Amino acid sequence: MGKTVTLAIANDDMHQPIWWRRILSSEHPLPWLLPASALMVVFGMYPLIAAIWSSLHRKNAATRREVFDPAYNWIKIFHEPRMWDALLHTLMYTGIAIVFQLVLGMLIALLLDSDRKGYGVMRAMMTLPLVIPPAVTAMMFLLMLNGSFGVIAKGLMALGLLPPGYTILGNYSTAMAGVLLAEIWQWTPFMVLIMLAGLRSLPKEPFEAAAIDGATPVQAFFKLTLPMMSKVIAIAVLIRGVDLLRAFDYIKVMTDSGPGTATETLTSYAGRIYFGNADFPLASTVALLTLFLVIVTSTVFMRIFKVKL
Amino acid sequence: MELSKPWQFVRDSFAVFVTSLFMFPMFWWALTSLKPISAIFDKDKVVWFDFTPTLINYAVTLLGRSRSQLAIDEGLGMGVAGTEAYDSRSSMLDSIVVSIGATTITMLVAILAAYALSRMQFRGRDAFLNWVLGQRFMPPIAIIFPLVITFKLAGLRDTDNYYLGWLSLMLIYSLMNLPIAVLLLKSFFDDVPKDVDEAAMIDGATRFQSFSKIVLPMVRGGIAAAAVLCFVFSWTEFLLSLFLTTDIRTVPVKIQTFVTSTGNEWGFITALGTAAVIPGFIFILLVQRHLVRGLTLGSLKE
Repeated sequence: MGKTVTLAIANDDMHQPIWWRRILSSEHPLPWLLPASALMVVFGMYPLIAAIWSSLHRKNAATRREVFDPAYNWIKIFHEPRMWDALLHTLMYTGIAIVFQLVLGMLIALLLDSDRKGYGVMRAMMTLPLVIPPAVTAMMFLLMLNGSFGVIAKGLMALGLLPPGYTILGNYSTAMAGVLLAEIWQWTPFMVLIMLAGLRSLPKEPFEAAAIDGATPVQAFFKLTLPMMSKVIAIAVLIRGVDLLRAFDYIKVMTDSGPGTATETLTSYAGRIYFGNADFPLASTVALLTLFLVIVTSTVFMRIFKVKL
Repeated sequence: MELSKPWQFVRDSFAVFVTSLFMFPMFWWALTSLKPISAIFDKDKVVWFDFTPTLINYAVTLLGRSRSQLAIDEGLGMGVAGTEAYDSRSSMLDSIVVSIGATTITMLVAILAAYALSRMQFRGRDAFLNWVLGQRFMPPIAIIFPLVITFKLAGLRDTDNYYLGWLSLMLIYSLMNLPIAVLLLKSFFDDVPKDVDEAAMIDGATRFQSFSKIVLPMVRGGIAAAAVLCFVFSWTEFLLSLFLTTDIRTVPVKIQTFVTSTGNEWGFITALGTAAVIPGFIFILLVQRHLVRGLTLGSLKE
């Protein structure tokens, strides 16, 4: 840095009062962290504490009053089969989506990892789904999966894979698959992008050595690529997993947890309690369960795979 | 790895096929937005290209034209009454104002915090970092109910005052964006050697001057990348806006209202959806270089 530049700046501010100069030259982190802390306290910490406090109350359906009764909701929720269903759906949704996204993401990344002409454009195109509002993606698939004029549903019917007039999202057994299709379509590109970054940062020499030793590309992939990419994969799974565990948008828009409760996750269950019977304490309890699930799963994951964000 | 010619051809074709497969939903979406109603709701066959393209859906959603009037003008027969419900101009405004506001607030707050976390050694630094990171793990559903109730009690909802509604959405989106912005910016600040600050301060610059006049201009690229990601996440957010605001409808929420009891207005849905996607496309192509770093909160660099 040129000395003249900084000296000029310093002289410029000599007329300022001393206390102001002292703040500006302070080495204390407080002024720097204060705005962020304020935001996190007011919009993060306060509502979280309020949610915990609210979950310790019992809502009386008749009088609509909330009475302090700390254990009521927490005992009630663990005896609620619908909560266990929602938990199961949440884990299923997360597990299936992560496996598909990871495997497809890796395969597509391997496919697109080339310096040939046109591959750069294809890689850029693959990132486009990431910026579509998930609520809009959900509508997209709602249109395409429509039983009477949806292009995907009609296509499957033409191939004889679905009976005519079948509504994928309206049936108990296939609704989850329909929602997952939207989820997987939108977020596989996320994995592709990260896997590509990982692949491109791999050193060349081990692969050359392996090729000389007569290793097949498949062997090289399992013995070299995968182990060297393990940290990248773990970070990608962690980030994606946290989002999947609180899945809401696709479910709310495409099936609204239905048919029945076929696609109800913890988050959408909480939303339904809130919109349905306005039982805030119970809704908060379910919402906090989502939080615990995320904390426990991600902590265990970070311990096992030794990753940090 | 070198492939033989036929195999290279197979790979190229397969790559094109897979990319097209992923592009197809967006293509279909944009195509549907140009279709007249009769082509969308054809029960006998899926209509691909044999229709007369129309911009009626865009005129109604983005320009606020009356649908029934347009239908008469184009000789398409009578439409249904009720025009305001599909006029999405105020939703576009809501989305733009809230996204830009949230991005601005996030960047102001995050740049300061990221600089301190990158440059200063103090007790509780790791704890603070974890606190910020923790916001990324927090499901929005866990904080939204108390916020709604508090806003209601305090008379700060958008139904009480529209501008306060904007502000509250901006602030909540700022919290949501904070971890990605702080951690991404910190990783960019970390790339600038500490000697730069030290040299500036030996020459008489204050800490703040060293930050604002020397280091900040050096991380312009990172700031642009973080701002774009904040904008995109604010633009696409659904849950918080759905629960918190009533009169203010950001585009992802507004589009849901086109699902009516008499059937979904797919023409309007696709038109507004297509329009809502375009800003994101432009931005994401601008920051391709920093995308991976941004999406992994600065932990993977390309």
